Amino acid sequence: MQRKTILPTAILLMAPAVVAFIIMLSVLYGAKSIHAQTVWDAVFHFDRSSVDHQIVRSSRLPRAVGALLIGCFLAVSGALMQGVTRNYLASPSIMGVSDGSVFAVTLAMVWLPPAHSVSMIVVSLVGSAFGACVVFGLAWLIPKGMTPVKLAILGTIIGMFMNGVADAVATYNQVSQSVSFWYNARLYQMDPEMIKLSVPFAIVGLGLAVWLSKSITVLSLGEELSAGLGQRTAVVKLLSMLAVVLLTGVSVALAGKIAFVGLIVPHIARMLSGQDYRWIIPVSGVIGGLFLALCDVLARFVNYPFETPIGVVTALFGVPFFLYLIWTRGGGQRE
Amino acid sequence: MSVLDVAKTLLRIHSNSDYDLVVFQFRLPRIVLGLLIGFALGVAGAVIQGVTRNGLADPGILGINAGAGMMVVLFMFALRGVVDLGGILSVLMKPMLGLAGGLAAAGLILLLSRRGGRIDPQRLILVGIALSLGFGAITLYMSLKMNPQDFEAAVVWLAGSIHSANWKYAMALLPWIVLMLPIVWLRADKLDVLQLEEVSAASLGLSVERERLVLLVGSVGLVAASVAVSGSIGFVGLIAPHIARRLVGLRHRRIIPVSGLVGMAMIAAGDFIGKTIFAPAELAVGIVISIIGVPYFVYLLIRART
Repeated sequence: MQRKTILPTAILLMAPAVVAFIIMLSVLYGAKSIHAQTVWDAVFHFDRSSVDHQIVRSSRLPRAVGALLIGCFLAVSGALMQGVTRNYLASPSIMGVSDGSVFAVTLAMVWLPPAHSVSMIVVSLVGSAFGACVVFGLAWLIPKGMTPVKLAILGTIIGMFMNGVADAVATYNQVSQSVSFWYNARLYQMDPEMIKLSVPFAIVGLGLAVWLSKSITVLSLGEELSAGLGQRTAVVKLLSMLAVVLLTGVSVALAGKIAFVGLIVPHIARMLSGQDYRWIIPVSGVIGGLFLALCDVLARFVNYPFETPIGVVTALFGVPFFLYLIWTRGGGQRE
Repeated sequence: MSVLDVAKTLLRIHSNSDYDLVVFQFRLPRIVLGLLIGFALGVAGAVIQGVTRNGLADPGILGINAGAGMMVVLFMFALRGVVDLGGILSVLMKPMLGLAGGLAAAGLILLLSRRGGRIDPQRLILVGIALSLGFGAITLYMSLKMNPQDFEAAVVWLAGSIHSANWKYAMALLPWIVLMLPIVWLRADKLDVLQLEEVSAASLGLSVERERLVLLVGSVGLVAASVAVSGSIGFVGLIAPHIARRLVGLRHRRIIPVSGLVGMAMIAAGDFIGKTIFAPAELAVGIVISIIGVPYFVYLLIRART
């Protein structure tokens, strides 16, 4: 464990520079390439009449920042879930947390229109808590429910179920058009106001994650060991789930459901920084943000000049990695 | 329409051309197609669960639906504007392409879940989940490149609905059932033997790999043909075999037909609920079945404790 502190430290130290670079990339290139000088002016000498300045301020910058933040939140959520459940497939999108969020937002759009931005975030949080409770509650009821296979199946079918119910409600009230909008991730319509509103929730979530990281390292070694060392495992689990719910709920409220980030990034972070969650969690956050922001840039060029859904791009990396994980780990619980 | 009207129309007593149109062109093809699909999915589910020896296996979860769906969308995408997508030729082509996609998916799943010469049932399901996410992403990508009209058609089709049924679809599906059903039905006893350990099955003189492959091709054929006409309808293939096993025990010669009948009942009931409760809008039968099916499946999982 001692050996693996140089690499993660280097990653964290380099992070600000790389983040700045990615933001630049994301702002400069897209359906319309914008000159660096124009971007500079848009930020520091904003001219309301210039179309390019408007694009930079209201579309490109929020989008870049949003992608970074969402990637970071999802990756930290995934790292927390994988540590607490000791299940290598645990992640917000596979375990029904994102689905719960989408479900709640759909219901809210049907029954409480027109929803305000803050209430949307709250609804999304409630939904992700609900999704997590249902999936993990059932996993607890079912024999061997916490193994990767059972959890993955539960998450998948509960997700199908919630999508089905949401679809039925939307059809019944004849609003499926505006609801289907929520089903797919949409980074390209990032609302700067929503980003500002989500910051307090995210700070609490990330703070909890960092604060818990030491306990999670112990917990990830085994429940008996952790209890033997005097840790209150139930409290740690509950608080980590709270952090997961906060971070995932905020991400879904911002941009809908984005798969694979929460699954693959924590594994990459673990390869780079060993078994200590005090390193894994921040490294996951950094890599997750960079990964999603890069995917977002790619999404603009896969089918240029049309946007490709970000889910397709993350799947491009995510599916092979997922298969690789299954290939090496199989169905057992311990790595 | 009253029961009497329907009976009169079917029996050709005082036939009325309005009723004829409704019954023979709208209602009847939809019912017949629903029954055929239910039967095909129920049988295929029973066979796939038998071959993989895994009660959680289902064409939907394993990604066979997604593979078949991807090929059909690829077909719709590649030939848009070239041929009439509602035409008879294209309707007959879809099941074949679906079969190619479904078989490719099944082959890939088997290849990736093989470890040390044996298929690991847990790995099988995880690989299936991963691949169906991948196929789904490709399908999404292609469907977004279509023009809005075709896109709408593709989305409606993917959700698993039979409300646009007509006789052409029923005709496209029927030959596959006629062809594939005997293949799996004649091997029902071998499927029983396959439930034993691999070594025991082999020592009873069964060429395990070959029988597995034939059975799998048969069931994938059934699934792919029904996906091609109706889109992906999940859970029928998962739940029908469980109900059938609880009704008639463990012999596949009984499970297979009963599972088919249960599948028929599920689709018929699901379609009826979808079109009446939500009137005037219609809910795709696949969605109705997933809403009803998931709680039952969870109940099965919890009950497995005993």
